[in-house]
Amino acid sequence: MARTFLSRRTMLRGVTGGATVGLALPLLDAMLDGNGARADGLHDGPIFGLFYWANGMPWHAGHGALQASTGQPDLWTPAATGPGYAPSELLTPLVAHQPTVATGLTPHTEVPQTPPGQEDGHMRGFMVALTGDRIRPEGFDHPSHTLTALRPSLDQFVAKHPEFYGNDLPRFRSLVVGASPARFHDYGHWNAISYNGPDSLNQPILDPAQLYDLLFAVPQDLPTVARRAALLDAVIEDADGLKQRLGMVDRIRVDEHLAHLDEIQRRLELTSAPCLGPSQPADTPDLLVKTQIMGNLLGVALGCGLTRVFSFMLTSPASTHVFSNLGVANDMHSTCHAGEWQQVRDVTHYHMQAFALLLDELAAGVDPTGTSLMDRAVVFGTSEYGEGWQHSVAEMPALLVGGGGGALQRGVHVRDPGGNFSKVHVTLLRALGLDTPSFGFNGGETSDALPGFLV
Amino acid sequence: MTRSGLEVLIAVAAAVALAACQQDGAHASAGDDGGDTAQTQGDGDGGPDTDDDPTGAGADDAIPGPRVLPRLTAVQYRNSLVALLGPDLPPTPVEPDTNPYLFFTIGASTTTLSELGTSQYEEAADRVTHAVFDDPTRRAALVGCEPGLPGDSCVAQFLASFGRRAYRRPLTATEHARWLEVSAQLADPDAWEGVRLAVAGMLQSPHFLYRVELGTPDPEDPTRLRYTGYEMASRLSFLLWDVMPDDALFAAADRGDLDDTAGIRTEAERMLADERARATVQSFFAQYLDLGRIEGATRDPVAYPLFTLTMPDSMRAEVELLVDDVVFREHGDVRSIFSTRRTFVNDELAALYGIDAPGASPITFVPVELPEDGPRMGLLTLGAFLTMNAKQTQTSPTARGKYIRERVLCQTVPPPPPEVNTELDAPSGEGETMREKLAEHRLNPACTGCHQFIDPPGLLFESFDAAGVFRELENGVPVDSSGDLDGIPLADARGLAELLRDDPRVGRCMVTQLFRHAQGRLDTPDEAPTIDDLDARFVAADHRFLDLLVELATHEGFRTALAQEAP
Repeated sequence: MARTFLSRRTMLRGVTGGATVGLALPLLDAMLDGNGARADGLHDGPIFGLFYWANGMPWHAGHGALQASTGQPDLWTPAATGPGYAPSELLTPLVAHQPTVATGLTPHTEVPQTPPGQEDGHMRGFMVALTGDRIRPEGFDHPSHTLTALRPSLDQFVAKHPEFYGNDLPRFRSLVVGASPARFHDYGHWNAISYNGPDSLNQPILDPAQLYDLLFAVPQDLPTVARRAALLDAVIEDADGLKQRLGMVDRIRVDEHLAHLDEIQRRLELTSAPCLGPSQPADTPDLLVKTQIMGNLLGVALGCGLTRVFSFMLTSPASTHVFSNLGVANDMHSTCHAGEWQQVRDVTHYHMQAFALLLDELAAGVDPTGTSLMDRAVVFGTSEYGEGWQHSVAEMPALLVGGGGGALQRGVHVRDPGGNFSKVHVTLLRALGLDTPSFGFNGGETSDALPGFLV
Repeated sequence: MTRSGLEVLIAVAAAVALAACQQDGAHASAGDDGGDTAQTQGDGDGGPDTDDDPTGAGADDAIPGPRVLPRLTAVQYRNSLVALLGPDLPPTPVEPDTNPYLFFTIGASTTTLSELGTSQYEEAADRVTHAVFDDPTRRAALVGCEPGLPGDSCVAQFLASFGRRAYRRPLTATEHARWLEVSAQLADPDAWEGVRLAVAGMLQSPHFLYRVELGTPDPEDPTRLRYTGYEMASRLSFLLWDVMPDDALFAAADRGDLDDTAGIRTEAERMLADERARATVQSFFAQYLDLGRIEGATRDPVAYPLFTLTMPDSMRAEVELLVDDVVFREHGDVRSIFSTRRTFVNDELAALYGIDAPGASPITFVPVELPEDGPRMGLLTLGAFLTMNAKQTQTSPTARGKYIRERVLCQTVPPPPPEVNTELDAPSGEGETMREKLAEHRLNPACTGCHQFIDPPGLLFESFDAAGVFRELENGVPVDSSGDLDGIPLADARGLAELLRDDPRVGRCMVTQLFRHAQGRLDTPDEAPTIDDLDARFVAADHRFLDLLVELATHEGFRTALAQEAP
């Protein structure tokens, strides 16, 4: 046959006449120094992490009149602003990592009147915090809590931003992981926080063994792997005729599926040397232990350059996780609704302890130049709304942790009551070196970074 | 909550219209473009038309809904791999299904596969083909001949027959040539490896992973597409067996039998008589009844000593056995699940219900008739409903009432108005009953419209605690389990069971949900006549569920699709 199904891609990475040629250089040899650490420190480029926890924080007067009527104190907002602020009670677990914190921020996106229910924090606050936009207003159905995003979440926005990786793509554009398996619903954003776009979610890996295998159990039979990679050309070609016969939405779904095949093909072609991993860990129901395990695997993966972007869903939106270890009898979502302020305080504190453990893992690995992953990282910590009793989107939490390769100021508190939440997005995108004239959509646009956050 | 809080709340509420809450009928959506139009329909109180020809294709005035492109559900994918390659395959983890609007098929037709999910398919295809082709016995059984040279006639013939099964239709010449070429080019070290990779490629093709049912223009009606015989074979098989078609279905499609009602009926009846239909019927009921929510339910062992760690599984199994009994053994009126005194208990459920169940053990469920003078009657007095619609430490008449409105009657409960405290039963007084706490729902004008709709049927279950145990006292106060449904006063849950026995909304709701499950999308407003017609056929069949499945499978609304893209 004259035509070859391999014509779609260059031949050199595939198979010619049964011989394997031109596989990528072994990663470890190429990138690590003799001590197993990356030799070039900050020049490795910034790391972006997204850390998400459910149900905001305990409510206080800043969240609204009803919340004020309970007389509960604000345990989140530090008393002082500026650099070197003294941490609040709930930020204390993070103190070793000198988080930079913005308080008072809230969504500025428009809220369409119909269909009703779009102002709910679970919907609006979540989507603004994660994507900078409102929920997709058409197709929203409040009674079944069905909704989707208009655009990618920040982790995917960064991972696919042309300036972020440029031509130097790592093995994974991003890793999407999580800890608690409890779900309010088994669909949509209740299930996952990482969006590629409308109805296109990345469900988090929750099983440490699965994450371990994905990262470290790399097949070593190179000729076979090369044939697997080459085969994908035929799969992609096989779908071409189908696409022409589909409606627009389904064509986009299939196109995205095929684009993933390109990515998988690229990864198979990179298969030549494993990143040295720890031993395969077991799962655990303890969220702190599990966060540590997942954080350790992420740290190794980031350290040997398997990716530079991750998201970590500690608990899912409106989480129904039962914190019986904290003496909380009902599930978290019900506990918020029942107005159990002290229990919500305890759970929020626990969430921050977990966040600290993740950051500890990333800070632990230091290369010979004294640079840690946290020095290179911008880790964005946020939740779905300000508080879960009334779902207020006032005073939404926003933390930026890490040095951002020298671009992010550590340990600063800026207070901006009623300020546009997307200022955080502008700040973190600029800290990552991405040209960001403005960010935020549908009324949420802003060109302002938070003052004093960027070096 | 405090007085000042309530005042704030009422001030906010004053701005909220006190529109009646009840929204009968189902909201509908325009399928594959995600456009979603909430709408209100008549509730069918007057009963549907019953003058249609009960044997014909029916509902001529209905306009069919749009096509969708569902990816195989996890079960359909695994079952189809086994159908293609035989049993004893290695594990093939795939992206978890999601269930918007209750149904996995709707998730399968609206979500986009993630990169991780795509790579799981790639790994699964590699793993299962190695399992088969690394074993000379298995590969010989599958292929049926010994490939000599790469791309020889043995390989060509096998790829044509395997491809026809995997794609659920004959391969086109181009497709056949493509996989034959793959098998030749990648035949390293031998021809077998080429065949293996061609199979692995087909198992990753969207033609296998998605249900490509595109239809062809209906010669009698240019506004419609009509599913081909092969597409109907797939539609029947995935609906009734959750797997790709078997040889008999392919043969029926080859003969053209699936182009007419009688042929489809014959196949549907054959399939429903097969053991495999039982699992798919269970799967539908588990989704329609939202049983997944019972999984992982926990209760404080001190407060609820009867609620063991295995109890959620026991409660779910009970419902499955009840459904199986009514649908497959009794061939009875399936609506009776909501009013029958028959159920199936193991030892821990018998203890929870306080009944005798000779022969029951942890793993043995025995049929029992619940006592005539006891409090339980029908599914809504069994553990699963009572537990999954309660909180860990207290009952929720609102959750129970909402379930009855949404799940049993297919009514729509709108969201609470903005800025209103949705949970007024914060811990306040000692010895307060749930009924007293909920009184605030009725005092507050912002809440009363909807909660008068939701709470009264839910209050009928107050004599069952958060673990489904019968109780006569709550916080030392005698339980009042009275309530009502749509203004009809009822003494307790048994009264509701009697009322639901003949409520036309119960059957119509089942029809609507089955239609959504079968189509992989919500029904459109234009499909209301189809649902009316199916409901009439369901009534005419004395609500036997298997008859409804046959009526659906043969119905024009299931065999045709809208010719143009949905707006």
